[in-house]
Amino acid sequence: MMQKTLTRERASSWSWILQAITGVLVIVLVGVHMIFQHFVAAGGLRTYADVVAYIRTPFFLGWETIFLIVVTWHALLGVRAIALDFGLKRSVERVFNWILTIIGVGTIVYGLWLTFTVISRTS
Amino acid sequence: MTMTRHFQLRIYRYKPGSDPHYDTFSVAMPDEANVLDAIERAWDDQDRSLMFRHACHHASCGSCGLRVNEVEKLPCVTPVTDYPDGATLTIDPMRNFPLVTDLAVDAAPLYERTREVGTPIMRESEPLRENGLRVLPEGIADFNRFENCIECGLCLSACPSMAADPFYLGPVALAMAERALAEPRGIDRQSIIDLIDDEHGLWRCHSAFECTEVCPSNVDPAGAIMRLKRIVAAKKFKKLFGR
Amino acid sequence: MSVNAKPKPVARKPIQWIDLRGRRVGFWAYLAMRLSGIGLVVYLYLHLVILNQLTAGPGAWDGFVALARSPIFLALDVVLIIGLLVHGLNGLRLALVGFGIGVPRHKTMLWIGVALAVILSVLSALAIFSKG
Repeated sequence: MMQKTLTRERASSWSWILQAITGVLVIVLVGVHMIFQHFVAAGGLRTYADVVAYIRTPFFLGWETIFLIVVTWHALLGVRAIALDFGLKRSVERVFNWILTIIGVGTIVYGLWLTFTVISRTS
Repeated sequence: MTMTRHFQLRIYRYKPGSDPHYDTFSVAMPDEANVLDAIERAWDDQDRSLMFRHACHHASCGSCGLRVNEVEKLPCVTPVTDYPDGATLTIDPMRNFPLVTDLAVDAAPLYERTREVGTPIMRESEPLRENGLRVLPEGIADFNRFENCIECGLCLSACPSMAADPFYLGPVALAMAERALAEPRGIDRQSIIDLIDDEHGLWRCHSAFECTEVCPSNVDPAGAIMRLKRIVAAKKFKKLFGR
Repeated sequence: MSVNAKPKPVARKPIQWIDLRGRRVGFWAYLAMRLSGIGLVVYLYLHLVILNQLTAGPGAWDGFVALARSPIFLALDVVLIIGLLVHGLNGLRLALVGFGIGVPRHKTMLWIGVALAVILSVLSALAIFSKG
């Protein structure tokens, strides 16, 4: 009887709600990102000096940081959805969730470190 | 004068202990026939060991579900005139069910899942008239499409999530859950919501809509699933904002 | 489960979610979402790793930018844009439908999304190759 093979305690609508919300946000975030990286920049690609000047601008620093967080979140929620499609046991799923969380936090930390490093370069 | 069509029926065969393969049967069918008649003709004239499910022959029992040229169909109501004279029809059992033999699958996965939802569709006989025409519950037309379900399993066969996740509740049980939520008649609504609001419930549906495409009874399980997602998500928001 | 011995063989293997036979347009959209999603995740991490070149100073970065102007790279950029458009436009449809909004018109939304993706992909390709 299926009830015995599965535990159905957890409510997981938040994964879908967040997936949808972050997805819609990404559309806006990536749209502006693309426009400013490629249409505002002369020749469509920034030189090193352009990049540093860009990321030092408070508005874009904020925008790119939010973009990084939201897109990483959406991407890893998506990876999780694909994996769950293959019927992971609850114990495996828990481990998997933790791994994805660590990867996500690590990605964001890396991105912030990279941003900070570029901003603080004097040459 | 009746026109006749000739077909090559390429039928999936499997008997326990031997390898699966296809057998091809030539049949000549009148235009009024359905694909199930053609399969029966092959069984009757050529190979009595062919096993396939069938009962009512008019799309109300849900027994005969299978795939014709890779597409889920009820062969009892699929006319042979859908296919040109001389065509080869490849007949396969439904996907995502354990195979018993030839075209007959084990439908247990379907019934296990509907049982989990409480199989709430047994209407006790209710008089049609009671001081005038009996009034049906408010808004029932929005969600009683499920009452057309004949439990044929074509939706489970067509659903890509059913293929990947052995625990997925699937279109039948989820559409059934919408019906139960709308008119519980003694079933605990919260227990149904807890059942479907789960990683192996609603959230394994990725909106392929294949179930609605193949349903022979116009149940629209995909629509039911989307409405359920709205109901469950709305509940979450309301809880968050304390209402 | 059943009265008799377990039936064999089981007609379902996990890989069969990708069974392409007898599929209709909703399935193709689902497959496109999945493939574009995987592609975009791979791209995301590639992009983040490449950005590390910025820490190696102007020389390294400008070297990369020169590479990024090559035709192959630009073509890959177009592939990226197509992936983004397919995933984003279809995703909007899924966000609506997945909250029960517009469900009877989901196919219309799908085809509008496809049309927009084609148009915007062509425009993007033109923009990318003209700006170099």
